[in-house]
Amino acid sequence: MVMSASARVGKSYVFMSIIISTAIILLILTFLLINSWQAISEIGWGVFSSEWHPAAGKFGILAMIYGSVAVMIIALTIAIPLGIMTAVFTAEVLPAKYRFYVKSMLELLAGIPSIIYGLIGIVFLSVWIEDFFALQSGRTILAGGILLAIMVLPTVITLSDDALHNVPAKYREAARGLGLYPYEVLKSAVLPHAVNDIAGALLLALGRVLGETMAVMLVIGSIDRIPVPFLNTLLPGQTITSKLGREIAETAFGSLEFSALIFMGLLLLVFVLAFTILAQTFFYQPEQRLYE
Amino acid sequence: MRNLFLFFFSIILLFSCSESKVVKIAGSSTVLPVISQAAEQFRLKHPNIRIIVNAGGSGVGVNQIGEGKLDIGMISRELAQSEIDRYPNTAFQTHDIGRDAVVPVVSSEIYDAGIQALTLAQIGDIYKGDIRNWQALSGPDREILVLDKESSRGTRHVFMSAVFNDKNAAAPGADLVLGSNNEEQTAIVQSDGAIGMLSHAWFNADVKGLSIILADNKAISPTLENIRSSAFPIVRALSLVTNGQPEGDVKLFIDFLLSDTGQQIVEDNGYVRIR
Repeated sequence: MVMSASARVGKSYVFMSIIISTAIILLILTFLLINSWQAISEIGWGVFSSEWHPAAGKFGILAMIYGSVAVMIIALTIAIPLGIMTAVFTAEVLPAKYRFYVKSMLELLAGIPSIIYGLIGIVFLSVWIEDFFALQSGRTILAGGILLAIMVLPTVITLSDDALHNVPAKYREAARGLGLYPYEVLKSAVLPHAVNDIAGALLLALGRVLGETMAVMLVIGSIDRIPVPFLNTLLPGQTITSKLGREIAETAFGSLEFSALIFMGLLLLVFVLAFTILAQTFFYQPEQRLYE
Repeated sequence: MRNLFLFFFSIILLFSCSESKVVKIAGSSTVLPVISQAAEQFRLKHPNIRIIVNAGGSGVGVNQIGEGKLDIGMISRELAQSEIDRYPNTAFQTHDIGRDAVVPVVSSEIYDAGIQALTLAQIGDIYKGDIRNWQALSGPDREILVLDKESSRGTRHVFMSAVFNDKNAAAPGADLVLGSNNEEQTAIVQSDGAIGMLSHAWFNADVKGLSIILADNKAISPTLENIRSSAFPIVRALSLVTNGQPEGDVKLFIDFLLSDTGQQIVEDNGYVRIR
């Protein structure tokens, strides 16, 4: 087949882009693996203990894993229902001319630097939590979770809204033609088609929740401790990212502590990857692209 | 179009030229206010030298000097032997620019309720978690919010050395771990029952420094005179660290800090001058 020059340029450009993006992910993975190898080989299963005290040679990361998982559960429990409901409202109920303004505002919110959210968290959120629960300090795992929920809400809303909006009008019309109520149209015709893209939005939110550093670092208390009792999120804690944010710059490159910190980073990446793969297999529908 | 391109190109060229006259400084947030103020005044005299100042903590200052990322590191503690060993190719040189005290500080509510002096042993018990309520120290019935610092912070090294004789001592009684002096100050202001460790220069109406009761039952308050005479038990030098003897712009800047103007800046920031 003969291709025109521009088509060849276009093809190689696309090809290069794929190679570069794949290479970046592989590079990051290799970098993390190589640098965490020292920790894996020297500490071994010892990393899955709960005490972190580098000066005494203790590198237990359970407290950080607990913190990350706890913060993730809190943030997503708040953000998912709230976000999807709001998206249903903006995409299905709100008249089109207002939808534009609402969406622009939301996208603006998504672009606010996380340090700003962190400062708001310190000045307001943690103080409110302290007063409301009569705590010694409002810098708690719960504060981190709520702050993250607020931070990912715009992402969830605007992407879910796109997902709903992209469902072709003919499905709605057909459903309405069958005499379904608006609620039934949404439930039986629109949502099933949009669910795949909504899952994508939630994955992005999950990535942000697990990867967010600065804001969480400021409000979570940064203490490497698993709360007692186990589910008490009204106590300070530490996430993997806040630990990395506080310590990585001060740790010598190549030391065992550095390696242990990188190992946490690797865990985080593997965690997010696993979630992505799971979600993709779970939501995969053959011939699901109905948009024309 | 071409003119526009040339215009931007020349701007980029211009910036990359001035790049050679940059002095990069980072490290201890205790030394930071002195250095950033000095940098401003220094630039009035030497407008062609750009100085970039960042915080991060003493550990960051030392590490980045070792890795060659900085011209000057700021430290608020002694260099550790382990740090010198870690970078065998770096000839660390420290230059003292002032003196400071690390002071146990409490929320003003606690200070006003009568807790104005503690022994080092009592402070140790609080950080070990043996004392959890101010009542045990004849204060109000309120839980103690114990503030710890990131393990590489100079302030923590100096404080823990004085309290536990071990600069890396663990503090199982701690409730929160914070970073810079600024962050710690905010946390103490927000609480009504907190204890923390702060540099002498960071007191304010809501953050009160405690006196320390020595073995002979004499309470030493953190005043400038007591820091100057080293009567206060937790004093330290504020220093800059360089790789080898400072030269050129770096030397100019350090000499400026040791000059009368520079030392005045040290004093203005609440620390004690050394010259």
